[in-house]
Amino acid sequence: MDLALKDIRRHLGKFIATIAGVAMLLSIVLVMNGIYQGNIADGIWLIENTATDLWVVERGRGGPFNESSRMPLDSYKSIAATPGVARASPLVLYTAQREIGGSSQQFTVVGYDVFGGLGGPGRVVRGRVIAAPHYEMIADQKLGLEPGGGVTLGTHAYTVVGVTQGAVDSAGNPLVYLSLPDAQEVQFQQDNRALVAARAANLKRLERAGYSSEQATRLLPFLASNSDTVNAVLVRLAPGADGESVARHMRDWLYFNVYSTDEERRLMLEGRLSKMSAVLGLFRVLLVLVSIVIIALIVYVLTIEKIRSIATLKLIGAPNWVIVRLIMEQSLALTLASFAVAYGLRELIAPGFPRTLAFLAEETAATFAVMLAGGVLASLMAIWHALRTPPQLALGG
Amino acid sequence: MPVLEVDKVSMTFGQGELAVQALKPTTFSVEGGELAALLGPSGSGKSTLLLAISLILEPTTGRIAMDGREIYNDGPCGIDERAYRRQNIGFIFQQHNLIPFLTARENVALVMQINGVGRREAGRRARELLGYLEIAHRADSLPANLSGGEQQRVAIGRALANEPRLVLADEPTAALDTERGMKVMALLRKIARERQSAVITVTHDHRMIEGFDTVYHLDDGRLTKTTHADTH
Repeated sequence: MDLALKDIRRHLGKFIATIAGVAMLLSIVLVMNGIYQGNIADGIWLIENTATDLWVVERGRGGPFNESSRMPLDSYKSIAATPGVARASPLVLYTAQREIGGSSQQFTVVGYDVFGGLGGPGRVVRGRVIAAPHYEMIADQKLGLEPGGGVTLGTHAYTVVGVTQGAVDSAGNPLVYLSLPDAQEVQFQQDNRALVAARAANLKRLERAGYSSEQATRLLPFLASNSDTVNAVLVRLAPGADGESVARHMRDWLYFNVYSTDEERRLMLEGRLSKMSAVLGLFRVLLVLVSIVIIALIVYVLTIEKIRSIATLKLIGAPNWVIVRLIMEQSLALTLASFAVAYGLRELIAPGFPRTLAFLAEETAATFAVMLAGGVLASLMAIWHALRTPPQLALGG
Repeated sequence: MPVLEVDKVSMTFGQGELAVQALKPTTFSVEGGELAALLGPSGSGKSTLLLAISLILEPTTGRIAMDGREIYNDGPCGIDERAYRRQNIGFIFQQHNLIPFLTARENVALVMQINGVGRREAGRRARELLGYLEIAHRADSLPANLSGGEQQRVAIGRALANEPRLVLADEPTAALDTERGMKVMALLRKIARERQSAVITVTHDHRMIEGFDTVYHLDDGRLTKTTHADTH
């Protein structure tokens, strides 16, 4: 006779309510796993999905993701001339926030050489790649744009020609791809009235410094910000070229910092992502511990509720395995059913979740194993208590 | 041959100066078909004697034999105490102690299944036993849906499930009114006679004394055999 099943059947409502409660907690654990991995996946998405061998950035900088890096636009030409380099392309990256689709949305602009340069979108799920030098853009579907749609950035209207899926920056914001000159223009373009005001203020400052009006007018262009800069240069190595020696050459002779894709990934993981990952990891561990404690308490309470029945079983001569099976089966049923429901809840929550959730099968399996171990541990504690229960407890009035 | 022989069985709790002799060396025997009562005030050692007979508590000294087979002689005689209980002893409790999530039939069948009887056979025999106890119509009811008297009948059914040689009843009528208590006593008498089981009943209930074949009195751990007249 399966006592565990009989007990569950008699107290089905209570058992289902318990499973629902535990499942909700476990689903938070599973979603937290997804947030943790999603944070890492988002953080390194651009690095992983930019088909390049080397990232060249400003000297002494850990850019272009962890800190800002600015290089003259034509630096990519000297990099391209380095022995072992097959191709070098300039790249512009910056975060922007604009009104799109009726709400203010943050995104990262990626400016790249649209005519065969590196750094463009890997796969366009709808529409096409940028084919014109100006006023075309590719946006990630997270922005809610479709091919044919339009967005005004700065003083120009841009037409969406393609849509990507899952293209995000390290904060999980969608990417917008523009041609390099467009990206630079959007970044540095100022409102005409603001430009006139800035020009007048600069002239006044120079005149106050003792320059004549003519001298001040001639010096004015040198005070204007230079928009002819890029944030990084992407390098594709020639077949057979040694990345390390090419990088060393650029460091020694061109005075740039050079990172391989692996190094760039490590910079991201140990820099910008490390604290967030540590916080999420800590929450994850705490949630797992809380879940195990709650499962343990429920299993223990389920056993304590039956302690008089267990004493009666011992008194009438039931062998220990009858009691062990009763407790273990209920504990496993609770853990397995809760995890299955939690898994279903996770699948329901994931599509509408505001951040990227990345689920690793091995991590889900590990969480399941930890929960199962927790359930087994809890049932062992309950079994230990049950087996120590004196049979004479059944005789008490 | 007596079903149960208890020879100079004593029980001492604690050691040294703190030792308390809960049961002084006690000798008695019960025959098959005999209905024996065990009277005594609270703390006199009645429950201790039942626990010692069923080997739930190991006696400090003495010898216990069941159907002539020695099961304890100043120490365990190498038997599995739980197997000994489920094969030889049926228990009836004051509070019935039915498993609350099993039906009346399942409560009775469980004891048989634990003793190795197949599920189907146990179910059939449980129904038969409940019929013998005139409660077959409540076989599929949960204990919570049974009256006190009905629960006690199911508990008796469970005690008889493995056809034990000895039935130990701990105040089986205490929670019942006089009429139901009398019916339970009559049932125990019927069981003792028809099944040739020995029945030992701990009771405070002087209303029921008339029905017993033998009455023992326990006072301060000392057992004495009394006549019915002495108990009034």
